[in-house]
Order: sequence, then structure tokens, then C-alpha cells
Amino acid sequence: MTDIIAFQTATKTFGGLAAFKNVNFSLRKGEIHALLGENGAGKSTLTKVMAGVYKLTEGKLLLDGREVSFSSPKDALDKGIVMVFQETNLVPAMTVAQNIYLGEEKMFNRLRGLYIQARQFLVGMGFQVDPTAQVSTLGAAHKQMVEIARAVHHKARVIVFDEPTATLTPEEKRHFFNLIKRLVESGVSIVFITHALEEALEAADRITVMRDGEVVASGEAKDFTRSSIVQAMVGRSLTETLHGSASRTPRPYGEKVLSVENLSCAGLVRNSSFSVFAGQVTGMFGLVGAGRTEMAKVISGVMKRNLFHGGEIRLNGRSVRYRVPRPAMLDGIVYVTEDRKFDGFFETMTVGENLQISELSNGSNPLSVVSMSRARVLAKEWGERLKLKAISDRARMIELSGGNQQKVVIAKALIQQPKLIIFDEPTRGVDVGAIVEIHQLIGELADQGMAVVVISSYLPEIMAVSDRILVAKRGRIVEEFMVSDATEERVMFAAVH
Amino acid sequence: MAAQRQPQGRIRINQETVVIAISVVLFLVFSIFLNKFLSQGNIIALLKNVAILGTLAVGMGFVVVGRGIDLTMVAVMVVGVAFSIWLSTQGVSFTFAIVVGGLLVALLGLFTGILVAIAEIPPIFATLAIASAVYGAGRILFSSDVLYAPSNIQWLTFIGSGTIFGIPMSVMVFAAVAFVMSLFLKKTRFGRLVYASGDNPAAARNSGLPTRPVIITQYVVSALIAFIAGIIMTGLVTGINTRLYNSTLIYDVLLVVVLGGIGLSGGQGGVRNVIVGTILVGILINGMTILNFSYTSQNLIKSVILLGALAIDAVINPRDEQTSQSGDI
Repeated sequence: MTDIIAFQTATKTFGGLAAFKNVNFSLRKGEIHALLGENGAGKSTLTKVMAGVYKLTEGKLLLDGREVSFSSPKDALDKGIVMVFQETNLVPAMTVAQNIYLGEEKMFNRLRGLYIQARQFLVGMGFQVDPTAQVSTLGAAHKQMVEIARAVHHKARVIVFDEPTATLTPEEKRHFFNLIKRLVESGVSIVFITHALEEALEAADRITVMRDGEVVASGEAKDFTRSSIVQAMVGRSLTETLHGSASRTPRPYGEKVLSVENLSCAGLVRNSSFSVFAGQVTGMFGLVGAGRTEMAKVISGVMKRNLFHGGEIRLNGRSVRYRVPRPAMLDGIVYVTEDRKFDGFFETMTVGENLQISELSNGSNPLSVVSMSRARVLAKEWGERLKLKAISDRARMIELSGGNQQKVVIAKALIQQPKLIIFDEPTRGVDVGAIVEIHQLIGELADQGMAVVVISSYLPEIMAVSDRILVAKRGRIVEEFMVSDATEERVMFAAVH
Repeated sequence: MAAQRQPQGRIRINQETVVIAISVVLFLVFSIFLNKFLSQGNIIALLKNVAILGTLAVGMGFVVVGRGIDLTMVAVMVVGVAFSIWLSTQGVSFTFAIVVGGLLVALLGLFTGILVAIAEIPPIFATLAIASAVYGAGRILFSSDVLYAPSNIQWLTFIGSGTIFGIPMSVMVFAAVAFVMSLFLKKTRFGRLVYASGDNPAAARNSGLPTRPVIITQYVVSALIAFIAGIIMTGLVTGINTRLYNSTLIYDVLLVVVLGGIGLSGGQGGVRNVIVGTILVGILINGMTILNFSYTSQNLIKSVILLGALAIDAVINPRDEQTSQSGDI
């Protein structure tokens, strides 16, 4: 088999900082190649160079054995390399067919002709998508199909996926991998970045593992095992600590802090009832779209607008309902967001300033004088407590790694001294080392008597941190397990339809 | 990480230093080539003009730092002061009328703030609409365009023509407003909250900040500052011309704020940027007026400068290749 794309001692730096260095990587014709590594290992940058988003600083990029340098993503696209990003690049207000043929409209477009053409094309690939459907109405899996169809239509020879399965349900994942297998049979080469090791082991022909900007392992998928990949990713054996054995004894029930009865909101949560106890970690598992985040947001007042359709929320027996987060926070409920960049932190401020804002939000006198050194004190104090790494006092939040950003967001929440803390996907986009530390912290908080809720779509995480597991399905809590009687199979069985 | 990207110990070239440099160059050029420019009378005139523009810009900057924009300032300024003058002709004392005018202006700011913070109308539209409404209501109420303040008000005359240590009182008022605002923004709890809600409104809400009261307060304060600018103007020219609303003054104020380096995306900059911007725009307008440029060509030049400043800033401070893209490395 020949290499369609090859990197030779390639290096890419951003202002003196190497995203990857001296990387040798090859993609063969008609293979599925999985790219693994912690966040910040350089995977995304490598694929973006392939797709013409960035240019190499040093080294060579070979396409069909000839050295190339793409001037733009369009240039790469013309040469048959397509990148499918995590957030899809489709035009939501247009139909499926219009998206597939975007950019090649004729002066007078006959929509009906377009739909017939698109239907034939989609059926030919075995995709069950209605070409007349508006893209905004499609689910994540169907959007991805449209992206793939568009790539194939553009005669793509190489398709690069950045975490394609992150938002898919298990069935959709299976379907996705069937699709790419069929593509590979027709001669297309696939690169996909993933955090799910099982997917790489099952679906890929070859696997490359990156760590700190270098390729640390590369070879046939069958030569890898789960633990050898993890070892290569972290450079140390972490398998046991990361998703520790589930056979530990759960913490005892404390006082009932929160009880929710028949909560309904925004069509996503329907008649949901559950309770949360102090001194315990309550894991909330469910597939994407099960309404877990919405439940948490309604409880903590984060949900905007009036989407509350009834039900009762009791905090320590008192009936409450919050329309903004502030009163919830004053009553001791804090929500740690799943999307920290969007609503978790202040990106132009330093760590200390971020923490200070949280402290200030408790005060009442708007004219009270703020101590400038307080930010530094807070940064030091919480930096030690949460093991924030390698930051100068003056580093802005945007310059920190995902794991450190997440720790700051958690610290911001803890400054409020909550009685009930809700973590929504606490380790999304966080490197493996920090995942362990965050899991430990969650346990410590429960040991201190706090009521802790952890929402996660990653079952091993739920199994590792929870004492009690609630399973959400279609906007309702459908099952409850103590971790001592839960197995991954039982929990997953309750969550899928 | 930060240390590697921005070497310390080197002067960082940013918009602020560029603007200061341009101001200095302009000042020197005007001083050399315009013989009237350096005269004492002209410098005083320059400073007085700057006082009104700068005071307005302090208020605007305060709102822009919190990711808002207040286009009502000129309308509120002229109508607020004109209302006070009109009230004083109805038999109340002028000082009392000013206090009532201040209350009215605060109410207008409160109304704007509620529209922006609670009804969540984008501030550019909310304030644009309110500006027209306020001006229109004023036009109906006052029979003439120009309202003259009573001539026997001592404190008003003092603001207009008095000096402290040789510095015109109007400039002192501007300096006081700027100083208080600077302390307010930098040192108080409220100031930090304004920066936070400008940086990321959603995160501010999630961090438990009282975001709505913060926004409302900003518009009340900017309205009151506009009123102060109106009082300075009344003192300087012994009256107020409500037609000022139809001039480009509000755009000059925005020019000062943007040129000074307060990003319209909020969360950055401060009173220092306002002062820097005010000095440049003040020198520029003054020089062009001496050169006898027409009103239209002055506006053209000002807009070209705004575009140039933004472009230069974009070139010397390129948006980082990495942070401009979302996703991890």
C-alpha cells in the first residue's frame, strides 16, 4: 500500500511554543487511521496542517510522494483532503441537498432537480437522510452524514474527523463506523481523532498515539491493547487509578439536601423526580439528549427564560425556584458548567482575577474597595489546593490548558462555599492527569459533607466517582443504583431504549 | 506560556502607545506649521472642547467596558440641560431645576438600562431608539432650538470661565469625572464586576454576579455623566443648542473610545484609554478647524483615521493563529 499523505520530521510552532515537533506520520491509501493522545498532545494541529488550516514551520508534508504546502483549506479541499470539525460547518437554514451542493449553484437553480440528484446520491451511499430536510432540524449523527456526503461529493480522497463520535449515541456510533468502513472500501483514507480507546481498537487499521507534540507509538491496531495505549498516552501506567475498581463501598446517605418532584421544563425534562443527599456523590448518567443538563440548569437557576413547566424543587425541605443563578448560589447551589469557554470563566483575566470575581459576587456593597493583592493570594491558595500547573501570575485564562481551566472553574464554584455542587461533564476536554485529580477532588468534597452531583456521558467516569447512580432517559430519571450493585452493563442497559 | 508569547522587559507596542505617538507627532506638526496653534488662547480653546468630548467619552467608555454602547448620551445631554433651563423659566430656581433635570436624566438612564438588561434588547438598538425618542420629546416641549441659561448663576459662570491654578474649570470637571471613574472602575467591587460582565456576560451570570443591576447602573451613570457634560457646555457657551443632537458628536465620542483602545467587545481598557483618545481627537479637531477644513472633510478625515487606527492595531497585534481557532492544539 502506498502512502497518500506523509509527514517527515514535521514541526509546527506557535510563537516559540511547539504544538508538535519532529513528527513522522503516514496515511496509507484506503486505511482507517486513529489518532490518539491527551488534550494538547498536538493531534488537532497535525490534522489541521493536513487540511491546509496551518502551514508547517519545519519539515515536509508529502501528498502522493510529492512535497506540498497548502495555501488554504480550499487548496487542500481541491486536492481531495476534507476535514470534518467537531462543530459541523453546515448552513443550518438550508436543506440537506443545498448543503451538499453548496458553492456550485448554477445561475438558475431548480430545487426539484437538486433534490432528485441528492436523493440518488445519498441512497447510493446508503444514507437515510431526507434531502429536503432543513439541516437545523437534524440530529448530530445526520449532520455528520451530510458532512460526509458533501466530502464524498467533492471527490475526497482523505477525510479527517476531529472527535466524530463525541456527540453520538451508541447506535449512531455504530452506524458512523459502518459508513466510514464503506468509504474506505471505495478507496478513501480516513483519519480520526478520538478519546475513546475502544473505538480506535475496534474500527481503526492503524493507530498513532501522540504525547506532548511527539509521536510515541504507531502501528497496526491489532498490536495495541487498551492498557498499552493508555500507557503510551500518559507515559505511565494509569489504567487502574483512572477508572478505579467499582467494588468500593459507597459513602453512607447524609441529610436529604435536594428533592425534585415531577419537574418538567422546555420539552426536554418530563416529570422527573429524584433526590440528592449530603456527603455523597450522586452520578447522573444518560445519553446525550436525556435532559440531564437541563435538569441541573433549572435547579441552579442557570436556565434562561421561563421554560419551567411545573414540578417542585425542594432545598432542605424548602420549596425553591430560581430564575437567575445568583439567589441559588446564595442558598448554596452551584452549577459547574459543561462548556467552560462559553460560560465558565473570563478569558482575558488572570486566574487570580477570575477567582476574585467569584469572591466579589458574594459581597453586597458595590463601592467597597477591592484589594489588588487579593487576586494573587487567591491564585496561590487555590493553585496549591487544586495543583494548578505551570502558570505565571500574569497568564490569562485563555493561555491555560483545558485541565487547568477546568480547575479554575471548579475553584470559582468552591469559593461560593456551596452545600450542593453540580458538575456537568467535569472532565470534558481535560488531560488524563487532571482527570484523576478532579475525580479525587470530587471524592474529597463528598467526604467533607457536601452534596455532589456529577453529570457525565462517560460511563467509566460515572462508575469511578459515584456512590449512587441515577440514570436519565428521555427527560426522566428512570433507574437508581448504589455503586456497589451497579455494573457498566446494567447502567448502560437502563440508559438505552 | 504567557511569558513565552510576550517577552517581558520589551515595550509592548499596542494601540495605546501608537495613539500617544500619533498625538505627539500631530501636536508637533501643528505647532510648527500652524502659527496660531500654540497660542495660549488656542490651547485653552482646545482644552475646553476636549473637556466636553472627554467627559462624554468617560461615560461611553464605562458602558463599552461592560460590552454595551450608549448612543443616547448626546440626546440625554441636550434634552436634560434644556429641560432644566426651561424649568428655571417656569419660576423655580436654576440650581433646583438642575437637580430636577439630573433626576430626569437618571430616570432616562434607568429606563435604558431596564430595556437592555431585562428586556434584553441589544444596546445599540435600544439606545438608538431612546435617543430619537428623547430628542423628539424635547423638541415638542421646547419652543426654540437654543435655550439660554440665566446669566446670574455664579457657579455656572465659574464652570464656564473660572480657573483653578490657571486651568479652566471645565477641564477640572472633566479631570474630576475621569479620576472618580478611574477609581470606581479599578478599585471598587462594582468596577471589577463591570469588567467581568464585559469579558463574558454568560460566565458573569453563572458566577453569581448581579448582572442586571450592574448593567442598569452603567446606563444610569453614563446618563448622569452626559448631564455633567451638558452643564459644562452650558457654562462655556451660556446656553444649550438642542440641535447638537443632529451633529456627529456621538460618533466623535465613539471615535475617542475606540481610538483610545477600549475594545467594543468589552472587558478591556479603562479611563487611561479615554484620556489618550480624547487628546488625539481633540488635537486633530482643533488643528483641522484652524486649517479651515470644512465640516464634511473633517468628518471624512476622522473616519479614515478610525479605520487606520484599527488596521494598524490589527497588523502589529495580529490575532493569534491559535486562539483565533477554537479547539485544542
